[in-house]
Amino acid sequence: MFTTGSKLLIGSAVVATITAIAYGVTQDGVMGTIGLASAAIVLWFLAVLNLFMRDNNIWADEIASVEGAAAAVPAPANSVWPFAFAFSAAVLAVGLVTYQAVFVIGIVLLLVTGAEWTAQAWADRASADLGHNADVRDRIANPLEFPLAAAIGIGIVVYAFSRVMLWLSKTNTVVAFAVLGGIIITLAFLFAYRPKVSSKAAAVVIGVGALGLIAGGAAAGLSGERDIEQHETTEGLAEEGVDICTSPEEFEADEKASQSVAASAAVAVTITLGEDGVLTYELNGPSAEGADAITLPRSNPNNVVFRNESGEHRRLSASLGTEVVEENGEEEERPFYMCTALVDDGGAQNITMSVALPSITAEDGFYFFVPGVDSARLDLFVP
Amino acid sequence: MTSSATFSPMSRRVRIGLVLALGALAAGCAEDAPQDMWQPAGPNAQSIADLSWLVFVLAGIVGVVVLTVVFIAIFKFRDKGQAIPEQVHGKPTLEIILTIIPALILIGIAIPTVGTLMALNDTSDTECVINVTGQQWWWEIDYPTQEGCGSGISEPIITSGQMVIPINTPVLVRGTSRDVIHSWWIPRLNGKRDMVPGRVHTNKLEADEPGIYAGQCTEFCGLSHANMRMEVIAMTPEDFEAWKANQIKPYEAPAADTLAAAGEQTFIAQCSRCHQVNGLEDADGDPIISRPDLSVYAGAAPNLSWLMTRNTFAGASFDLLTPACRADVWQAPPETVGEEYLEGVTPECLNSVQLREWLRNAPAMKPMYTDPEKLEATDGLVRGMPNLALSEDQIDELVAYLLERK
Repeated sequence: MFTTGSKLLIGSAVVATITAIAYGVTQDGVMGTIGLASAAIVLWFLAVLNLFMRDNNIWADEIASVEGAAAAVPAPANSVWPFAFAFSAAVLAVGLVTYQAVFVIGIVLLLVTGAEWTAQAWADRASADLGHNADVRDRIANPLEFPLAAAIGIGIVVYAFSRVMLWLSKTNTVVAFAVLGGIIITLAFLFAYRPKVSSKAAAVVIGVGALGLIAGGAAAGLSGERDIEQHETTEGLAEEGVDICTSPEEFEADEKASQSVAASAAVAVTITLGEDGVLTYELNGPSAEGADAITLPRSNPNNVVFRNESGEHRRLSASLGTEVVEENGEEEERPFYMCTALVDDGGAQNITMSVALPSITAEDGFYFFVPGVDSARLDLFVP
Repeated sequence: MTSSATFSPMSRRVRIGLVLALGALAAGCAEDAPQDMWQPAGPNAQSIADLSWLVFVLAGIVGVVVLTVVFIAIFKFRDKGQAIPEQVHGKPTLEIILTIIPALILIGIAIPTVGTLMALNDTSDTECVINVTGQQWWWEIDYPTQEGCGSGISEPIITSGQMVIPINTPVLVRGTSRDVIHSWWIPRLNGKRDMVPGRVHTNKLEADEPGIYAGQCTEFCGLSHANMRMEVIAMTPEDFEAWKANQIKPYEAPAADTLAAAGEQTFIAQCSRCHQVNGLEDADGDPIISRPDLSVYAGAAPNLSWLMTRNTFAGASFDLLTPACRADVWQAPPETVGEEYLEGVTPECLNSVQLREWLRNAPAMKPMYTDPEKLEATDGLVRGMPNLALSEDQIDELVAYLLERK
């Protein structure tokens, strides 16, 4: 009674109808319901039309044409895709009322199973020869299935491998990587040395390896990542109240700091400490130089590059008034500094400053300075 | 028989074509077109216009030649039942010629184009620096301390919406953005320049004569992108010095027991959370510092210290001047436009209708993201000025107070 093509449309129409009802009952807003209901109406219309046309551009009362149509050929009965499609629709419906991730998975499954079902249904109408139909189906579906399966397989391997590497300690990751690399090279060498090795043996080796990796990844993922050591930063130390920004001494944060800055168009100002212990600055255009103060916009990230040409290790600090911090339940007002790490002679470092308050909030204004070099001071205006 | 039936189909087509052509011609005849790049008012815009004319003329010649050949081919060789012409495969000489000619045309366009771009990007000749910061949906303009800009700037000047520059002075605009990408464009003075968060981009401006040059954000930046406007006011060096002096003069509190004095208290209570007025102090004599970063997504709101020295507000979308007074300033000849602008907003010229409407319910005038129930994406921070539910008395007080900000 039902033609192959109409089965797909009827199934889709049923799913759209159920989803529209489920969405309309459980979700606020009418746009989604209108969209799904519209889809249901269109699909029902197409299903009925398709049924009436017997999957072809012929009239149902044209007996000769109907009997000769592809739909008249009995379709193979067994197919997993209608079931898979319905399952996907159920996942999607559940996702609508539970979690977004489930909904997204439902959409992906729906698309995949829908495409597979469509390809299967289309191939089933090709002829009465099931073998030929299977070839037709593979010709249309394999170019999509193989890359997709490969991408998913690679993704699983990479993800599992990353979980293992994040679980191992920093030292063991190097060992594990070397061992794994050695195993792969050894196996590759053996396969290359004996090119007539059976495909079954190769499949077993690859399968065992993949299973091991997935199992290891799952176990490592459940165990969690190793503790990753956080290095101190000048910003972090300053926030903790350590007087790093007013000190010329070296801290741990200074040891790990970069000593060079990539060329960038995003530099608001470049400040240089010369051998004479004087701070000079450079902006775009000659007209921006020469004044004895820098002006930076308020509440905006400004990249300030510090170049040290003094012949010694130095840091650039900015005095930005005071800040109120809460310590032991009590509010305390203390000087607010930002600074670079210690920069080697000839080195450069960037500091990104976003200042929420104008410079008039500080009694003696905002200013840049270099700890240990009294002559190095440059006023900073934040209007 | 209807009147249209008296025309043949061909003559009707000709009539329609003529109407369309005249319509297209008339569209280019706008009298009030302040954002017209074909009316350059400075050397940078002039170089762009010159280049555009060159490209336009060359492209026009190419277009005319190509269309002529196409029409000749269509009409001369149309199907009249003649035999199919001899079919040949390729004519190397012709193909080489038809490759070389376009290449030469492109080279002819590329050389002046690259030269113009390099000249526009060269900021080594600028004599004045002005910072521009875009945010939804207004421009902040600040003048850093410097030796340039005429006699120099000893303390920063901050304003919004309207940039004042001296004539015949190459100005370096250093621009960035606090939220999304905006684009700065004053068509009569130079081309566009995107202002990107975290980056500093430059744009040169120079005006040959005093005047008001309008511009508009040209990068879609959200709900009120169309209401993000700006102007450059070019004035003589003498007028510019007077403007600078006015912008850094000390704050003057309103006289006691006046409507403006009440407005100062209302401003402190309602507006100073976001808007800074330099010199404003609380009862203890401490400076009142705005904290727009606590309420506004961009972390900034226009500085209103000298609001009435400008003649637009709210992203230069609305006029502070009545239409008649606006016309006096905007249509003033170059000799007097600076003087007219420096007059600022007088009580007689105040466009109190729009200002009051703005204070009454700003989002109703300019679409902004200020609905408290729809601010999850910004953790409760508004983008634009919210409706403060001010009473009519408070609005009267604020208008009186703001009117003295010049």
